[in-house]
Amino acid sequence: MDALHILIELTLMPLVAFVVGLFMVLMMRRIAARIQRRVGPPLLQPLYDILKLYGKQTQISHGILHDIGIIMAVGGYIAAETMLPVPGMNGIADKAGLITLAYVLMVPSLGLALGVGQCANPNGSIGISRALTAMLAYDIPFVIVIFGVAWQAGSNNLVDIIALQQVDGIASWGIVQTPLLAFAGLFALHAILGKHPFEIYIAPAEIATGPMVEMGGKYLGGLFVMQCFQLYTAGVIYTSLFLGGGENWLTFLVKSFAVVAVPICIAYLFPRFRTEDVVRLVWKWPVMLGLIGIAFVMN
Amino acid sequence: MTPLDYLLLLSLLTVVIALVAGHRSMGGVWLTFTYAAQLGGLMLMAGLTNQPDVITSSLSFTILGQSLTWRYDALSWYFALITISAGLLSTMYTAGDWGEKFRADGGNLWLLHVAIALNVLSMLILLGSGDLLTLFIGWELVSWASFLLMILAGGPSIQAAIRYITYAMGGAMAILAGLALIYGHTDSFTYPAAANILHSLSTAHLWAPLLLLTLGFGVKMALLPLHLWQAAAYAHTPGPGAAFLGAISSRMGLYALIVVLIQLVGLVRVIELPVLFSFISARDVLAWVAAFTIIFPTFTALRQNDARMLLAWHGIGQGGYMLLGLVMGDALGSAGGLMHVFNHATYQAALFFSVAAVVYRTGTADLNRLGGLVARMPLSFLAMLVGIIGLAGLPPMNGFVSKWLVYRSLMLEGEPLLFVAAVVGTLGTILSVYKLIHNMFLGQLRVEHENIREAPWSMTAPMLILSVVVFVTGLMPGLVLQWIAGIQATVGLPVIDYSLGGLDSAQGSLDMLWVVGVLFAGFGIGAVLFYSGGRTHRVHQLDNYAGGHFLSADIRYHYSDNFYPGLMRLIGPLYRYSFAWLESAVQSGLGLLSLSTQGFYRRVAPANYALVTAVLVLLWVML
Amino acid sequence: MIKDIPIIAEQAQQPRRTNPLAHVFDELMNFARSRSLFMLHYCTGCGAIELPPAMTSRFDMERLGIQPMVTPRQADILLVTGYVSIKTLKRIILTYEQMGSPKHVIGICSCTVNGGMYWQSYATAKKLDEYLPVDLYIAGCMPRPEAVISGLQKLIDNIKHGKSDNWKDYYQRYDHYLGNQQHLFGNNWQTPTDVIGEAREYGLFGPQTLGQHTELLESVQKPLQPLEMKL
Ligand code: SF4
Repeated sequence: MDALHILIELTLMPLVAFVVGLFMVLMMRRIAARIQRRVGPPLLQPLYDILKLYGKQTQISHGILHDIGIIMAVGGYIAAETMLPVPGMNGIADKAGLITLAYVLMVPSLGLALGVGQCANPNGSIGISRALTAMLAYDIPFVIVIFGVAWQAGSNNLVDIIALQQVDGIASWGIVQTPLLAFAGLFALHAILGKHPFEIYIAPAEIATGPMVEMGGKYLGGLFVMQCFQLYTAGVIYTSLFLGGGENWLTFLVKSFAVVAVPICIAYLFPRFRTEDVVRLVWKWPVMLGLIGIAFVMN
Repeated sequence: MTPLDYLLLLSLLTVVIALVAGHRSMGGVWLTFTYAAQLGGLMLMAGLTNQPDVITSSLSFTILGQSLTWRYDALSWYFALITISAGLLSTMYTAGDWGEKFRADGGNLWLLHVAIALNVLSMLILLGSGDLLTLFIGWELVSWASFLLMILAGGPSIQAAIRYITYAMGGAMAILAGLALIYGHTDSFTYPAAANILHSLSTAHLWAPLLLLTLGFGVKMALLPLHLWQAAAYAHTPGPGAAFLGAISSRMGLYALIVVLIQLVGLVRVIELPVLFSFISARDVLAWVAAFTIIFPTFTALRQNDARMLLAWHGIGQGGYMLLGLVMGDALGSAGGLMHVFNHATYQAALFFSVAAVVYRTGTADLNRLGGLVARMPLSFLAMLVGIIGLAGLPPMNGFVSKWLVYRSLMLEGEPLLFVAAVVGTLGTILSVYKLIHNMFLGQLRVEHENIREAPWSMTAPMLILSVVVFVTGLMPGLVLQWIAGIQATVGLPVIDYSLGGLDSAQGSLDMLWVVGVLFAGFGIGAVLFYSGGRTHRVHQLDNYAGGHFLSADIRYHYSDNFYPGLMRLIGPLYRYSFAWLESAVQSGLGLLSLSTQGFYRRVAPANYALVTAVLVLLWVML
Repeated sequence: MIKDIPIIAEQAQQPRRTNPLAHVFDELMNFARSRSLFMLHYCTGCGAIELPPAMTSRFDMERLGIQPMVTPRQADILLVTGYVSIKTLKRIILTYEQMGSPKHVIGICSCTVNGGMYWQSYATAKKLDEYLPVDLYIAGCMPRPEAVISGLQKLIDNIKHGKSDNWKDYYQRYDHYLGNQQHLFGNNWQTPTDVIGEAREYGLFGPQTLGQHTELLESVQKPLQPLEMKL
């Protein structure tokens, strides 16, 4: 692969991720609206929001780390997108396996945590404390799932895992081969997205949107961009691990949107859990199912 | 004269200079130069890392028919490199204003210099040990040298140091017993003889020396359940001393364990060695001890309110990764475990330096009495940031690479539970290090800290050097992995197939050059996006959302105490302090034993003795 | 007595930027601004009760790109929904000053227009626009959700055509607003925000940004320098 080719891939992959992510955000808001019997926002609403936020004329900063936090949050996701193979483009997926991806995905959260820390707002700090607690909760089933899938495929490389699932159609998909792991993964995915009932760290009525409390203008805009990437990443990882990745762009997009739609459809039916209840719930069911799933896989 | 002789002589010279000039104001600077000279001496032996070779010292004794020899191989070289660098940077840190303030506050700067020099010397001697007897002698030297370093501050450190030396003596007794068992079989202390006899021993007979030696060396490693002494002992040592101890001291235990488990017994044997009456092997036991050593101390660290204690507890936890990787025994795992020694030393020293700088300026390491210092001490903040990313094991720092190797090895070996344990440790570390950096450097700056300044260069330079090392070896892990590969070849482990950016082998590939490159490219794009947005106006920290409330400087608006309340409501009741309980149970058991023995001797009750003797004799006659 | 200086209802139109690309960009941004409004509803009085129906399934504000937000930093519109007691007004002003521009104030309910049925109360501020640059009033005691929605649509129209620049008035005539605030709250009145500094930073100075009232403020103000990083 020549340098130009890989450079094109590295620029295209985050771009695609952003555009797809915009539509995923739209889908999320539309689904929420429909569940609440509303019409919901127009087609380009996510884009308008981001444009407006970046174009704010006066904005406040609490210091250089506040800025760097947002840069790291967005930049970390941009980097992570190049490790997620999409149809026709593998980026640097084969240079960084699943474990690396899982850890690179923590970089944006850490960056954001630093930025929020400098805002000196206790609501933000409480939000981060809760977000990290949630991370401690959902990452355990998530790594169990990663372990199971990597063991099943005999590789921790997403490209291999996808290729293996495409050997003979649906029968070789992860969701058919390892249904327990797939279910645990879906559960973990829901918690990763941080939607209700796992929305402990945003909690608008309680801690004033937690990490976002001092974020306005392009800071908030950066977080909106990050949300697009987050939805996209979640959808694509799950698709790659369990739904055979994408044979072509059409099936790829259909699968990814479907994956994201599942937790969202559930989310808006629930109120919010307390922090310890989130941890308890996530450490109980998905972990248990995941471990049983691994026991099946390893036999 | 071999290069090893030069090295040991230089180290001795350092001790002499410390003794003579340690109290002078320029003493620290001279010492820094002698440490640098030691590093140079070590570099003369750098060839060791390429071929499995040894350099022997011309110094040797013969005592009671046993010859004592010292020699360096790739393994010793690697540990010696970390030791001398830790000594160098700690002394550099001490040499400037920190030492002045330490002395002005009534500390004994001379003793601190001497103690660090003695530690380095004794560790170099230990690392050079060429047979079991010199290993034991070196071990004792190291124990007492670190005791000196721990106790010199007085106050609460005395209790901690005495606790340490109690454990260390217990460990030394176990080691001595283990050596005696081996000597009983061979009549020789040389490694080959010991290895031979250990190979030929039956399973049941191998357990005794193995257990004794592992326990003895495990004390220094602070393996569970022998870890209780470490955190307090390290945390109460004055700043640079704590950095030195945290960086390398307890890794001597790992060195000795490598000698015993891998070089003498052989890892294959350990893997096969079954625990009697069960289906698990010695390796499983060791791996689970390592896993618990990761988890429990890490979550204890999460509860600490003193920055130094928090770091010291993490030091114990990270030791678990090293052992876990090593006992996996494959190329990746052992490389990860060995590399983690280096990585841990670099970021742990940087973190202790940074905390010591904050203590130097503010006078406290209490996580509830600090905050917002990033605006005043940005370089210390930077060092701590790099350090915590390394400690938490996130890209792009070096801690990530070694942990990645351990994870990957656990995946390949098919150990899901150990893998989860390792990840839980990492996640707990992330939680606790964020609390550390948040409570010290982020959030609201207290009024009383408005006017403090960044620590002087003599203190920031060592930590920045370390930060650079942490980052560069994270970007190019091949730099360290080349030494690791040398060690693996020397001690007889499978050799890792490394490249500059990580590894590129059938077992999994990692190219940190790409990962870090893409990560920073991502940050670059993020920055372009960010700065293309509207202009920002820098505001005061009191211009803050408080639900419409008017903030003023006397309002404490910093969230610090009980940082993870939700988590603690769930796992708080699990902190049962059972290890502390175990320790006190052993303590009171020993107390009871000694009391009853005392009673046996003191209370003269000849009638009872006569009766007991008569009964025993009668029994003997009858049976 | 409060001097009754009329607020500038019609801003002088910003001259069109000559570069056609820049003009298109401005239009685009104005359009995006008009279609994405985050509102902070400061529920001071009875009028707040009309907002839930306006937001939820019956009228669904999200169709228009309007959604509720939680903190002033995130918000574009400050909805003041009813009578404003003097104590509340302090918080409203702080909240307004913490918002990022372009920001818009909407007074819902007659009470914000002229005091309404609380006209005789000693504890209630009568005209909101003496203290903050109000973009739009929605009168009524209380206005129905239809009125609220139509008022918001009017605001959207104004923003789209670049006619809703009252927030600049607050910077340009800060002295005037501050004077009225000081009259009400006393001479020690100050917020932890720095309006003058912001006006200086963004070039929003007007002839009345500084004056006797800001001098008074400076004489009593506790210094609020941002914590610059020091090496
Ligand atoms: S106008 Fe009427 S409904 Fe509105 S706040 Fe005043 S009294 Fe209440």
